[in-house]
Amino acid sequence: MSIHIGIGVSALKDHIEAAKDAVVQARVNLRSAKADLAIVFSSPEFAHPTVLKTIRSLAGSAQIIGSSTLAVLSDKGIHKHAIAVLLLSFPDTVYYNSACVNNVSSGQGTRSGEDLADKLLYGFKNIRRDLGVIFSDGLKVPGSSLINGLQEKLGSSFPLAGACASDNLTFKKTFQYYGEEVFSDSACGVIWGGKLNFGLGIKHGWKPLGKPRIITKSFGNVVQEIDGEPAVKVYQEYFSFDLARLKKELRLISILYPIGLRIPGEKEYLLRSLLAIEDNGAIVCQGNVPAGSSIRLMIGTRESCLEATRQAALEAKRGMAGKNIDFVLVFDSVSRYILLGRRAGDELAIIKEYFKDTPVLGLYTYGEQAPLQSANYYGKAYFHNQSVAILAAGGQT
Amino acid sequence: MIEAGLLMIFLLVASFISIIILALIIVRKLDRIAALNVETEKLKGSLNEMDEQAKLIVRTDMELNKTQEDLDKKITGLYSLQRLSRAISTTLEEGQIFQMIEAHYLEELGFEKACAFLWDDSRKYFELTMQPGYTREEADEIISAVNSQKDKFLNLIRSEKTLSSITKSSDGSELKAQIPAIFKVASFVLSPVLPKEGEKGLFFVGTDNGETVLNEGDEELITILANQLGQALENARLFDKTWRSQQSLEQKVEERTRDLSRALAKLEAVSRRKSDFISSVSHELRTPLTSIKGYAAILLTGKLGDLPKDIRERLDKINRHSDELVHMVNDLLDIARIESGKVAMRKEPLNLKAVAEKVSDLLSGQLKEKHIAFIIDTADNAASILADRSQFERVFINLVSNAIKFTSEKGKITVTSSKTNAGVQVDITDTGCGIPEAALSSIFEEFYRVDNAINQEVKGTGLGLSLVKHIIEAHGGKIWVKSKVGAGSTFSFTIPNEA
Repeated sequence: MSIHIGIGVSALKDHIEAAKDAVVQARVNLRSAKADLAIVFSSPEFAHPTVLKTIRSLAGSAQIIGSSTLAVLSDKGIHKHAIAVLLLSFPDTVYYNSACVNNVSSGQGTRSGEDLADKLLYGFKNIRRDLGVIFSDGLKVPGSSLINGLQEKLGSSFPLAGACASDNLTFKKTFQYYGEEVFSDSACGVIWGGKLNFGLGIKHGWKPLGKPRIITKSFGNVVQEIDGEPAVKVYQEYFSFDLARLKKELRLISILYPIGLRIPGEKEYLLRSLLAIEDNGAIVCQGNVPAGSSIRLMIGTRESCLEATRQAALEAKRGMAGKNIDFVLVFDSVSRYILLGRRAGDELAIIKEYFKDTPVLGLYTYGEQAPLQSANYYGKAYFHNQSVAILAAGGQT
Repeated sequence: MIEAGLLMIFLLVASFISIIILALIIVRKLDRIAALNVETEKLKGSLNEMDEQAKLIVRTDMELNKTQEDLDKKITGLYSLQRLSRAISTTLEEGQIFQMIEAHYLEELGFEKACAFLWDDSRKYFELTMQPGYTREEADEIISAVNSQKDKFLNLIRSEKTLSSITKSSDGSELKAQIPAIFKVASFVLSPVLPKEGEKGLFFVGTDNGETVLNEGDEELITILANQLGQALENARLFDKTWRSQQSLEQKVEERTRDLSRALAKLEAVSRRKSDFISSVSHELRTPLTSIKGYAAILLTGKLGDLPKDIRERLDKINRHSDELVHMVNDLLDIARIESGKVAMRKEPLNLKAVAEKVSDLLSGQLKEKHIAFIIDTADNAASILADRSQFERVFINLVSNAIKFTSEKGKITVTSSKTNAGVQVDITDTGCGIPEAALSSIFEEFYRVDNAINQEVKGTGLGLSLVKHIIEAHGGKIWVKSKVGAGSTFSFTIPNEA
């Protein structure tokens, strides 16, 4: 049985009118089917309870989850000031449950991950669970710890695809949507089970450059020393910049030349964007950086970035093995949006090339969660940076 | 014992050999270690060399990427500038011009905040016209801060120069330092908006993103945009002015048309009343006139007895004057009838020459009496017209007898016809005394008689030409006269050729 879906995207200036417009479009596409789940992506200016209430009033009893984003990706293009609503209507053979945890940063991310997993698993006794999708605060929630917590309860090889909410590049506040409410510093998600097929592809396109080095001292997401020297020295050597210049150019350096973590047993490097450089020479990364890890400086270009999108789309499609695809979700890093600049639309065009008429909806993220080796998605999920995660899903026919 | 000694010797030898072999192995191992060390050092060297190359690659790549980013920014900026310019230049309403600068255009130009203000010279106050990226409260604070230091901002307008966070010149350096605090931004461009006429102003864009690095290109783009805003303001004001004057002109024309229509309606009513009055008076006059004329005629026959000569003479006068009066009343009645449309023109093909000849026969007595030559010269292609026979004959009789009346002895009257766009034109030319210029415009009015010697001698009603005009107009034609005192007159009329 297919999953019925309807997507609506609106860029109307009045937020309530835009929300109405998006839901009405989605409802029209859904035809007469009853909406079970609504996934909402919107620019930060739409993050308001009245917007969610409007969606609730028009979407009936559907569970609502979602997040803020720099821009919405859809079949209609990339819209920076817009709201998108994906309504899903599942057949009886597909099970689903959504949940949310708040104040994640006040405790440990791991604990919140476990709580979220417990809530999500509620009602999934004796039912095979297949896939989880998580939206979390991209600025406050420690992405690596959250995923560790989730894996504690869901199983270390449980397929997870996650997106860290973004804002309009001010890096001030991101929002998560659950039911009629708007949260920050929280994580919400949905897990599916039953007769559901999915394919997941995640790639970044950055290549290792220069000699391998070892993180000799680190704590959480802060690299203190590399090869026994202050971490920043590596970047200073590569760019021949002093500390002040390096700090000034950090945004561009972080996008173009992130750190690549070598994960034992995995082919791909895990990318870590640079968030800040501390005065003592430590580098603050987006995501955990364990001591003892072998790292490389990574280099990416627009072409390698787009090639990675091609591979991710291909893997997601391969994962479906020719089975029916009802919808495609795209979690795309804001770094890629910045790197691609005027060619951001090319990435969407590549995805559309692979999935033709299947409806596509996506958001830009401050971090992604997915298994590293996506061809075998029953691998351990990691917290990624600068990647594009493509999730194709369909009901079993 | 010997065996034990041999065993000892053997063991010693074996130990010795083992030591030698071991020593040899160690030496070889040491050699290999040394060789490996050399290899490792070589590899390390290569790795370091590769790392050095990587550094070069990274630095070059960084430069390339920055150049590309700059280029991208410029292209995006130019694109949005082009679209923005189109939107601005097609706006002819002053209030709408600044509203065209929407947030997404600003973002493409690399800014998220903007505002514009125009100097109101009568109030001595800067008025805010737009504030994307600012809340109403923030905008209010900005405008009051700007007005509290209006002289500095006015100086910037007068200087006609753009001020930005990267401006190096010392002019406006004080203002440059204050702007980030006033407008709550990290980088900015502030450019004067200078329409040739009317209120001038300033256009501001800024960003509070500390990472944004402005360059001359940004400054130039915003200056171009501000110039376009000035141009658009100028166009809008000009359009508004033209539109307003056209509106007032149209209003005046409308008012005048209304006045004229009212006057025309009034005139028509008066004219209708006049015709009705003439018609009823004429009817009332005709009855007693018929009696008077009848009794005078009976008396003159002598059936009621012979009349003394002086009575007969007076009766003759009564009879003649009665005829004239009847004639006049008939003319008046005809004019009134034609004017009110009660008389239908029964059109039939008429030969102009035949009509003219018939009229000349009718008036032959008078023509002969004054020895006036009557010449008919109708063109072949204008020989026939469509008209009411009896009415058309009246036109001819009136015009020709008028000509005879004012032409002195041995004069000449010529009737010609020609084909025109409007139909057929007939000209009746005499060699008479002519009509003074002042009288030309009134000559076709009822009861109007030219003040000259002949008119003082010869009686007339002043209705003939008026009747002629009415008949011609009832046929859809026009009549006019050309004349010069002493040089004769030409009465011309047209009859549309519908045949």
